[in-house]
Amino acid sequence: MQAWRQFVAIVRKDLVVEFRTREILLTMALFSMLLVIVFAFAFLSDPTRARDYGPGIIWVTVLFASTIGQNRLFDRERENGCLWSLLLSPTGAGTIFLAKATTQFLFTVLMELPTLLLILVFFDLAVVRPGAFVGALLLGTIALSLVGTLFSAMLMNARMKEVLLPLVTYPLLVPVVIAGVKVTSVAVGAPVAEDPELWLRFLLGFDMIFAVATWFLFGRMIRA
Amino acid sequence: MATGNLGIRIGIVLAALAAAAVLVALYLVFFVAPLEATMGIVQKIFYFHVGSAINMTVAFGVCALAGATYLVSRPMSARVASIADAVGIATAEVGVMLGAIVMVTGPLWAKVAWGTYWTWEPRLTLSLMVFLLFIAYLALRAYAGTDRFGRGVAAGLSILGLPGIYFIRVAVERWGGAHPQVVYKGGLTHPGMRQAFFASVIAMLLVTATLVLLRALIERRRQQVDALFLEIDRTTG
Repeated sequence: MQAWRQFVAIVRKDLVVEFRTREILLTMALFSMLLVIVFAFAFLSDPTRARDYGPGIIWVTVLFASTIGQNRLFDRERENGCLWSLLLSPTGAGTIFLAKATTQFLFTVLMELPTLLLILVFFDLAVVRPGAFVGALLLGTIALSLVGTLFSAMLMNARMKEVLLPLVTYPLLVPVVIAGVKVTSVAVGAPVAEDPELWLRFLLGFDMIFAVATWFLFGRMIRA
Repeated sequence: MATGNLGIRIGIVLAALAAAAVLVALYLVFFVAPLEATMGIVQKIFYFHVGSAINMTVAFGVCALAGATYLVSRPMSARVASIADAVGIATAEVGVMLGAIVMVTGPLWAKVAWGTYWTWEPRLTLSLMVFLLFIAYLALRAYAGTDRFGRGVAAGLSILGLPGIYFIRVAVERWGGAHPQVVYKGGLTHPGMRQAFFASVIAMLLVTATLVLLRALIERRRQQVDALFLEIDRTTG
C-alpha cells in the first residue's frame, strides 16, 4: 500500500512538472511529426503501396521519438543528485523504477496519438483490425519504456549519453520492432502471411520477462 | 602474485594446446574430410564458421553469467566482483572477435550454398542482434566510465542478452529458417567430416579459452594497478 502511494507520488510529480513545462512531450511530439513528414517525402512515390511500408514508418517513428523522451527522462533526477536522494529515502528502488517507466510509457502514448493520426492521414492507411493495431502499440510501448527507462537511468551521468542510449537499447528492442511491424502490417490489411495473435503473445511474453528482469536489475545496477 | 604467475603458466600451456589443436583441425579439414559433392571447397568454411559460432555463444553466455555474478557479489565481496568483472570484459571482447569471424565466414559460405550473402532468417537475425548487443557492451565499457557504475550497467546489459543467446541455439528447431541442422539431425555422414568438425570446435574452444584467460589476467593487473594508484594517492595526499 505504501509502495503504491510512493509510486503514485513519483508519477504525479513527473506529470505535474511535465504539464507545467511541456518540455519532454512537446519535443517528442514535434520530433515525431517532423519524422513523419520526412518519411512522407522519402517514401510517398507510390501511394498504393503505403500498406507495405506504413507499418515500418509507424514503428521507426515511435522508436526514435521514444528515444528522444528517454534522453530527457531523468534530467530532473540528475540535477542536484535527486535520484540519490530518492534512493536514500524509504522508497524501494523497484518502485522508483516502475514509477519512472510508467511516466515514460504515458509520455510515449501521448506522443503516439497525434503521430499515428498523422501517419494514417498522410499515408492513407485504413486500420482493418483495430484491436491488433492498438494492442501491438501498447505492448510495444511497454517494452520500449521498460528497456529505455532502465538504461536512461543508468546512463544518466554518462558523458556520451545521447549516443550510448540507442546503441544499447536498439539491439535489445529489435525483436519488439519485428513483432510490432508484423502485427501492424496485418492490422492495416497488408498482404502478409503472419498470425498476429502469435506475435502479440510474443510481445506480451517479452514485456513480462523484461518487466521482471529490468525491475530486478535496476536496484542492483544503480547502487554503485 | 603467485596466482598471477600460475595463471600465465596455465595460459602458456593452453596456448600450446590451442596451436596444436588448430594445426590438427586444419589437417583434418583439408586433407582428411572429403570434398562436399555440390558445394566443393567452399563447404570447408563450415568447420570454422560453426566452431566460431558455438564458441561465440559460449563466450557471451559466460559473459552474462559473469555479469550476474558481478552484480550479486558487488555488495559482499570486492574480490569476487573484480574477478567476475575481468571475466566479463575478457569474454565479451573474445566473443565479439568470434562474432566477427562468424559474420564474415557465414555470408561467404551462404553465397554458394543459398545463392545470397544474407537473408533475414531467425538464426541470422538473432546472431546479429546479440553480436550488436555485445558491441554495445564494449562501447559501454569504453565510454560509460570505468568506475563501478559503468561496469554495473554493462553487466546488466549482458544479462539482458541471455534470452537472445538461448534463442540462437534453438532458433532453427523452433522457427525453421535456412540454417542447415547438420549437428543434431545427423548430417556429416562421412566420418572424416565428423572428425574435422569436432576437431575444429575443440580447436576454437581452446583458442577462446586461451584468449579469455590472458585477457582476464591483463584486466586483473589493470585493476591491481588502479588500486595501487588510489592507495598512493591516499597516502601521499
